[in-house]
Amino acid sequence: MTQHSLGKLLCTTIAGLLYSCSPQRTDTDAIRIRWSHDPETLDPFQSPNQVPLDAVNLLHLGLLEVDLTRLKYAPVLAERLPTTHLIGDSLTELRYTLRAAAAWDNGHPVLASDVAFTLKLMFCPDLPNEAARARFGFIEEITTTATAPRRFTLVCRGQSLEYSVASGDFPILSEAAIDPRRQLRRYSLRALQRRPVTAPADTVLLGVARRYRAASPDRSPGLLPGCGPYELVKWEKDRYLTLRRKTNWWPDAGLRPVPAVLQALPKRLEYVIIPDAATATLALRRGDLDVYPQMPAREYARLQTAPSTSNALRLYSSLSYSVVLAGFNTRQPALADALTRQALSHCFDAAGLLKATQMGAGTRTVGILSPANRMNYNDSLALVPFDLKRAAALLRQAGWQRGSDAEAGWVRTVANRPRQQLALRVRYRAEETLFATAALQFQAAAAQIGVPVTLLPTESGTFSASMQTGDFDVYVRTLNGNPFMFNFTPIFHSEGIGAGNTTGFNTLASDRLIEAITTAETEQRRAQLLRQFQALMQREMPVVPLFFLPNRVAASSRITGLQVSSLKPGYSVKTLVRAPQPSPAP
Amino acid sequence: MALLTPAFRLWSQWLAVLWLGVVLLVAALAPVLPLPYSPNSPDLANIATPPLGAAGHWLGTDPQGRDVLSILVFGARTAVLLTLPAAVLAAVLGALVGGAAGFWGNATRLAVPYWLLGGGVGWWALQLPIPLLGLGVAAGGLGVGLLFGVRKQRFPSWPIPLNAVVMGTATTLDTVPRLVLVVAMAAGTGVSIPGLLVLLTLTSWPLPARLVRAQMLRVRILPFVEAARAAGISPQRVWLHHALPHALQPLRTALPLSMAGLLGLESTLSFLGIGLPPDVASWGRLMATIRNEPSAWWAFTFPALCLIISIISLNSLSRLRSTLEE
Repeated sequence: MTQHSLGKLLCTTIAGLLYSCSPQRTDTDAIRIRWSHDPETLDPFQSPNQVPLDAVNLLHLGLLEVDLTRLKYAPVLAERLPTTHLIGDSLTELRYTLRAAAAWDNGHPVLASDVAFTLKLMFCPDLPNEAARARFGFIEEITTTATAPRRFTLVCRGQSLEYSVASGDFPILSEAAIDPRRQLRRYSLRALQRRPVTAPADTVLLGVARRYRAASPDRSPGLLPGCGPYELVKWEKDRYLTLRRKTNWWPDAGLRPVPAVLQALPKRLEYVIIPDAATATLALRRGDLDVYPQMPAREYARLQTAPSTSNALRLYSSLSYSVVLAGFNTRQPALADALTRQALSHCFDAAGLLKATQMGAGTRTVGILSPANRMNYNDSLALVPFDLKRAAALLRQAGWQRGSDAEAGWVRTVANRPRQQLALRVRYRAEETLFATAALQFQAAAAQIGVPVTLLPTESGTFSASMQTGDFDVYVRTLNGNPFMFNFTPIFHSEGIGAGNTTGFNTLASDRLIEAITTAETEQRRAQLLRQFQALMQREMPVVPLFFLPNRVAASSRITGLQVSSLKPGYSVKTLVRAPQPSPAP
Repeated sequence: MALLTPAFRLWSQWLAVLWLGVVLLVAALAPVLPLPYSPNSPDLANIATPPLGAAGHWLGTDPQGRDVLSILVFGARTAVLLTLPAAVLAAVLGALVGGAAGFWGNATRLAVPYWLLGGGVGWWALQLPIPLLGLGVAAGGLGVGLLFGVRKQRFPSWPIPLNAVVMGTATTLDTVPRLVLVVAMAAGTGVSIPGLLVLLTLTSWPLPARLVRAQMLRVRILPFVEAARAAGISPQRVWLHHALPHALQPLRTALPLSMAGLLGLESTLSFLGIGLPPDVASWGRLMATIRNEPSAWWAFTFPALCLIISIISLNSLSRLRSTLEE
């Protein structure tokens, strides 16, 4: 090889190396949004937190959907909100009609049979559908007619204000894609609901469940078609998830004018997973990120005062319905009684945590209902104070005795049971400073009264699994709510144990109250019951609501159409547009 | 250069000794020092406050409201309690296996019953498939041993590739970057101080083993070792009482360097959020809080200074002996 060609080869190699090391931006049209952790699953029935829900809501559509800006349910696949007919005093009929234009990607219409199939799938054995079972168990039957395939009637157990909207808030799946031989039609919804857990295995149901699992988007993208505006392009675990706007989405051709909830403007969405908040802020400032939702208070405050922000970034904030809470695993013998839980609730310095982590923004609360919801919030209850003396007194009242020396901690002897030792493990998602600070504060306070606490910062996926298996004593997390739905069955009812009821809390009184709330006939009656429920929860204390978070969103000034909302994810993703020039400050 | 005169080096090395003495003293006395705050008590009214900015927080607070001074003091304790035992244990382990490999090489032989006994017990202890098979093999070894003993026959023996095994294992460990290895192992074994101690020890012994082996190769052919052998002393006694003490000399230099490496590794692990539980104070973990509050320079600078000075001091300590000899 000559010296000349050797030099050429060297130059080419260096150029190649430099090119491969430089950041590649394959698609400048994509709107890049920060996620703090991987969604773990895109199963429509199994969304352990808000992140997978964000994606599922773009891939699939329900009958109804919340209009994030108006905070009201609006029809999506349904033509209009259902008409309600009360049958006697124990049943409700909800009559729906699907939009004529609603169609799957292959052009086939979305029919009542798809809705029936989806509901039956929620009660199909051998599927991780426990949360959906608890949430939609009130729908007892669905009736369809061959002559009007877009019409159907949902028969609901009891009568409730919420049924008209709650009955339509689930993603509709395609029967043809999962059950092409229509085998599930042999079973009625009621029969599936009443099928005992111990019933012998049914090969047909197992076959449907197997096909559903095989089509799960986290395994085979594209096998589970949704009628939502986006399709999954790529999902690199713990790195990013890319969605592409369908070119043949049904409202584009079939609806004029297109309703607000059926608009989907971004051509491509890229959810970038950046666990570290400061790194995400840096990415936003560098232009590698377009939208940063749920921004931590200090990052937000720093951007507010940074001189470079005024031109490059836009900052938005609003109220939110996300409450930070600590939950006790009531299945643990030491935490099974309300007095112990009440005692430990006094070890949380909610006021101090609110000041420290949210810089004072946010609202303290007596329960899991937002104080902004004045009609239903029980303002007669007192906030739980940070009071270690009271905590120690309540522990004694609960039968705990301080050991002879400082290291011995608290012990309790219960008849016919092994001696109990009060030592707690607090689990929280490792990447969240807010949770880490709350856990650290609890640990320090508990140590002052002699309760040893071990901190278990946990990776997001493991955290979700630990919540399901009950591998914790105390957890710190957020719970997302809304101002119009008060069905606590999935999270506090005995039916939700093993699914969304992570604390395992259930009493006869609380179950009855939750059922009464979901079937309340008037807003006044429901408000009365909700106030009772908050009082009961404060007495039983399965969770310690600390405060409601504010919603903070930062976005590039090139992004227009960002509408903030009090509901998660805190903004409307489908209205985002990348403008050629920076937008003026709001 | 005038700065590198022997007098200056000696002076700086005594400063290093002084610093390390202070760190040791602080680590030992941390629980009884009159610190205004405990390292794990967040002061929620003073989050990320700068030095001298809030009552009692002389070096400021981190983004979770913990007192930086307390974390530095208890972080020193963690560093000492973790790196000193790990370095000593790694040195002892490395010295034993490296010394044995250098002294016996691949030439020594072991009687078959011992092979069977060792292999069988190892199989059972490691719970390899069908653990009872291991016990069976061990029993077989015992049986063969007894049989030969009764008949007063000489045991057949197989060679032990001691040198090859030790150096092969050390080379294998060296081929994987230590940080990657420790991170991978920590992910599997979970996190605790004893666990991390074992992990650091198991990944740090190859260097002392190589040094002791190299020295042993030189020592084992020295006249006094030959004389001991000729006097009929058993090889094990010659190795332990005569050869090994002379082969350990390189460790005097290597031990402080090993500690410096371990200190850096522990801080790196804590910075990455791996290794120690979150309520164990650590300089590395304190430095990591800069990611949550980039403006809190004090949460990074003070532990970084402690770490840098400690590592430089340990490096300097490793040269102290040669400087004194000059």
